Amino acid sequence: METTLSPQSLGKPGVLSDLRALFAVVNREWTIFKRYPSWIIALFIWPLIFPMMYILTARALSGPDGSGLQVFLKTTGANEYIGYIIVGTTVWMWQNIVLWDVGFSLRNEQMRGTLESNWLSPTWRFAYLLGQTGPQIVSMVMFVGITALEFGLLFGVRLNGSPWMIGLMMLAAIPAIYGLGFAFASLVITMKEANAFVFLVRGLVMIFCGITFPVSILPEWMQSVAKFLPQTYLIHGMRAAAFSNAGISELTADLIPLLLFGAFWLTVGYVTFVWMERRARQTGAIGQY
Amino acid sequence: MEITTLSQPNLQTQLRALFVIAHKDWKVFWRYPLNAVSHVFQPLIWITPVYFMGKAFSSNGQAVGFAAYTGSGDYMSYILIGTALSNFIMTVFWGMGYALKADMDAGVLESNWLTPISRLQILVGRTLTSLLTTAITSTVMLIIGALLFGFKPTGNTFAAILTAIPMLIGLYGFGFAFAAIVLVMREANTMVDVSSFLVQGFSGANFPVQSLPSWLIPISMMLPLTYGFDAVRGWMLETSTLLPLPVEVAVLIVSMFLMLWFGSWFFYRVERRVRTLGTLGQH
Repeated sequence: METTLSPQSLGKPGVLSDLRALFAVVNREWTIFKRYPSWIIALFIWPLIFPMMYILTARALSGPDGSGLQVFLKTTGANEYIGYIIVGTTVWMWQNIVLWDVGFSLRNEQMRGTLESNWLSPTWRFAYLLGQTGPQIVSMVMFVGITALEFGLLFGVRLNGSPWMIGLMMLAAIPAIYGLGFAFASLVITMKEANAFVFLVRGLVMIFCGITFPVSILPEWMQSVAKFLPQTYLIHGMRAAAFSNAGISELTADLIPLLLFGAFWLTVGYVTFVWMERRARQTGAIGQY
Repeated sequence: MEITTLSQPNLQTQLRALFVIAHKDWKVFWRYPLNAVSHVFQPLIWITPVYFMGKAFSSNGQAVGFAAYTGSGDYMSYILIGTALSNFIMTVFWGMGYALKADMDAGVLESNWLTPISRLQILVGRTLTSLLTTAITSTVMLIIGALLFGFKPTGNTFAAILTAIPMLIGLYGFGFAFAAIVLVMREANTMVDVSSFLVQGFSGANFPVQSLPSWLIPISMMLPLTYGFDAVRGWMLETSTLLPLPVEVAVLIVSMFLMLWFGSWFFYRVERRVRTLGTLGQH
């Protein structure tokens, strides 16, 4: 006798339920974010002390009579060096924070022992990763705002450009920066320990993208590598938008590659996630750590 | 009532205890070989932007602005020495506190505390392997630094090493005090990160302190580390120093005794308090 099974599920997935799941993850992340207010201290301290190392070194390189500074301004075409360095270090910190926060989000669930049970719920699994992004973007906007405020008040750094253009550059960079974070999160969950990979990725940004110097000063081969890193375009575009009053036409050369890299990294991030999910189900290793 | 103990501490047992602690840490360190690679390359990655930034400040390959402060335009050798010394400072200054935190998290701190050896000895033991591994990784870092950035010590390296010794021993005092704070606060990562940046910034790990804004210079001059960095560079690179070199060495030796006395006094006071409260094993 042949028996036909008709599996019945209480969950009826649809676009609306997927959105509800996404909202639930965002809500949970926001609750956790508010629950540990020590981030407020970090939010005020890090934008100041990380760039300080480079700013004070630049001050020393300027010399007591500012002779070195004249060379720097001529080489870079910048009006002053503090703002120039802050843009680069802020982009680096953004990528670094995304790698630790979004990149380790699924791994943290794994460590807490909640990943497997979440995985079993009839929801859109990519929402677990996407949901981490919302509060992270909010905190990064605050981070950039506080950076501008602190350096404006303490060092007299003034914007000579449109905040809308800066916002546009940041908006265009979100897919690339977070796409990389998604790909990273999927790899971390498979490889478990990935600190060395964070060091590698952020090291590439630090060495090749010109966080404290113009990329044109690099040797040819390093400039070629820099062209393949979206952060290079973000730093260049943000400097132009913030201090050279660049408009949309001047920024197009940075915006287009940024968007293309965004499409690429989002695709890579999603494909890696799907691959990881399939592999995890096959090996049954999703809950292991 | 006479209390007898099975242990009979003497110099030999103390040394054996130190060896056992160091041996355990040595095994743990090499269990994760990527850490060693990271120790070599992380500092190099952090100073690479400085290398290229220095080029943007240089005219015909000469960092004239920097030379006006230090008497030497070789800013990369200056920074590489600062970075190598910072590695040791991190090991001694923060290493003991971190080791206590790791023991707390692993749940072995209380049982370690019950062993019949001095608590300061446990702390010192935790730094021995780190000092050795830091010496290895920093040497490799300097060799790579020489290949990539042209690290060129032109002065008396032996005198520089001798000068660094009282500085490092004095740092143990700081380390004891910091370990005591960890015993009380238990979670100290943000404190460590921030203090580490500030201490290294104010003592001139990466730049001459003369270039600091004038209102920050007095803070810098109060830190013994400032004279340590300055004197080591003075010997190795023949840079101009804040004070005459013999005076800086004397400052380092006096501060070594002061810091050791203060650090151990503070540690025992706090440790006694923690034992009284019974919070030693909490984390």
